[in-house]
Amino acid sequence: MLAGIDYFIVIAYIVGMLLLGLYFKRFVNSSEDYFLGGKSLPFWAIGMSIVVSDIGAMDFVGVSGQAYRYGVAVGNFDWVGSVPAMLLAAFVFIPYFWRGGMYTIPEYLGRRYNKSVRTIASATWILFFALDLGVLFWASAVLLNVLMGWPIWISIVSTAGVVGLYTYFGGITAVIMTDVVQMIIMFIGGFALVYLSLDAVGGWENMVEKISTMGPEYRSHFDIIQPVDTKSPFPWTGILFGLTFVMANAYMIGNQSIVQRCLTAKNEWHAKAGMIFGSALKMFIPILVLFPGLMAVVVHPDLADGDQALPMMIKSILPPGLVGLMFAAFFAGLMSSVDSLLNSTATLFTKDIYEPFIKKNANDRHYLKVGQMTTLVLLGIGVATAPISSDFPGIYVAIQTFMSYFQGPLFAILLLGIFWKRTTQWGGLSALVIGIGFAIFLNVFKADFFTIEDPFLYISWWSFLLGFIINIAVSLMTKKHTAAELEGLVFSSKILTKSKT
Amino acid sequence: MLNFDWLSGVSQETAKLIFFGLYILIGALVLMLPNEYVYEGIKKEDRHWWNNLKLWSLTVLFILATVYYQF
Repeated sequence: MLAGIDYFIVIAYIVGMLLLGLYFKRFVNSSEDYFLGGKSLPFWAIGMSIVVSDIGAMDFVGVSGQAYRYGVAVGNFDWVGSVPAMLLAAFVFIPYFWRGGMYTIPEYLGRRYNKSVRTIASATWILFFALDLGVLFWASAVLLNVLMGWPIWISIVSTAGVVGLYTYFGGITAVIMTDVVQMIIMFIGGFALVYLSLDAVGGWENMVEKISTMGPEYRSHFDIIQPVDTKSPFPWTGILFGLTFVMANAYMIGNQSIVQRCLTAKNEWHAKAGMIFGSALKMFIPILVLFPGLMAVVVHPDLADGDQALPMMIKSILPPGLVGLMFAAFFAGLMSSVDSLLNSTATLFTKDIYEPFIKKNANDRHYLKVGQMTTLVLLGIGVATAPISSDFPGIYVAIQTFMSYFQGPLFAILLLGIFWKRTTQWGGLSALVIGIGFAIFLNVFKADFFTIEDPFLYISWWSFLLGFIINIAVSLMTKKHTAAELEGLVFSSKILTKSKT
Repeated sequence: MLNFDWLSGVSQETAKLIFFGLYILIGALVLMLPNEYVYEGIKKEDRHWWNNLKLWSLTVLFILATVYYQF
């Protein structure tokens, strides 16, 4: 339970975030300010925001839980599962999105393929983000319940209230600038926990020795590369094909909440640098979220649920004051993820659904208002769907499962769309629809096809491959786009040698 | 087939080398980028080695490779 000073730190943090976020209300005068921050933000804020948005409640609780169960292999998600994809995004995709003046990734798909592809991609992301919101709310509520004994629904509603207010008024500038502070707090709180936990287990070498001698199920806890026949969800083949080649790229290149941050940059260098700086910061994330889970194996070896590892470590290791700081760090992770999802989904809905289908050519103030109202509606949906995540055994895996339905096909059409000018609108549409259908099919019948515990990495790879092949086959059978239609949308060596201005 | 059983003969050590090979390949591709492209957006007189994004990328790749070497 929290002491008086812990309550003070947590409440000061929440009030501080609310005031900081609301400060940026004064900079929002147009829809471009609300969705793209007036294209004025520096690389360091973008990089920090990308990282902190990607590490939320699910990572603090879920990854620690996975590390408790499976060991360091879960670190692949932030290491090889981020860096190569972020470099590809920075040097190939971001410049196209940036130079095209785009607001959303589906907007690119709409220009490259057709309106249907744009709508399906956008609707899928909106659905995913809405479900993700529920998961994030639930994760926060579970931790608050364990640490403070707060009723779950009070936790959910109070989180939604604070984040909703500053996101509604301040738009993406408020989201990114609060993310900067949230990342600093998260790193301080996280490193404090790791430092004290290491001390409690007698140092790194001692921890490795203790875990390695705990039994056969712990023998591979320190192997980042797991064999093909592992029972964990992280065989190296899944990490290489499913994560590195597909899911990581789809996430860093096709995820609106990540790419939108780069589109707020003040120029192209800041857009690229933001992504690369973010990849450097990502290297530290496993230290914050994975190591406490490993140390919990020594301190609390008999936990029935791995997701209890982090809360138990906080309770047993940290002194008063630092508990509050760690709790604020957790809150920072949660708030940064929720505000990102809210703003990105509002952007997707306003730009890809509302503007083309519901009200064209309205004045800019109207679209600004729609974006703000969408934020509020989403908040309500997130709160209402939160209990769904309690039906899944691992919070983090639940998210990956939702994502694996469409990450593969989405990346297939993005990749071919930008690198192969022969790709047609019908190729892209077929690949997206059939690929998503195939991913759902594999998920439903996974027990018949796969031997590992949760095959989301394999599902993303095979649905990507099918989408890739279908895109090529259908494109070759249909009428190709003209050079004029593809202008500025397909990769050309000219972009490397010819500057924008 | 879907479980990659056909790669079960590849040892963990060999698999790790495949990852290192990937990092080297990415690093080589980054090195091939023209300087003009990685500095795009910065005025010519403000271009220095510390805002060369190639160096940033290679540093991150080096840290990544070190992590995989350690584990």
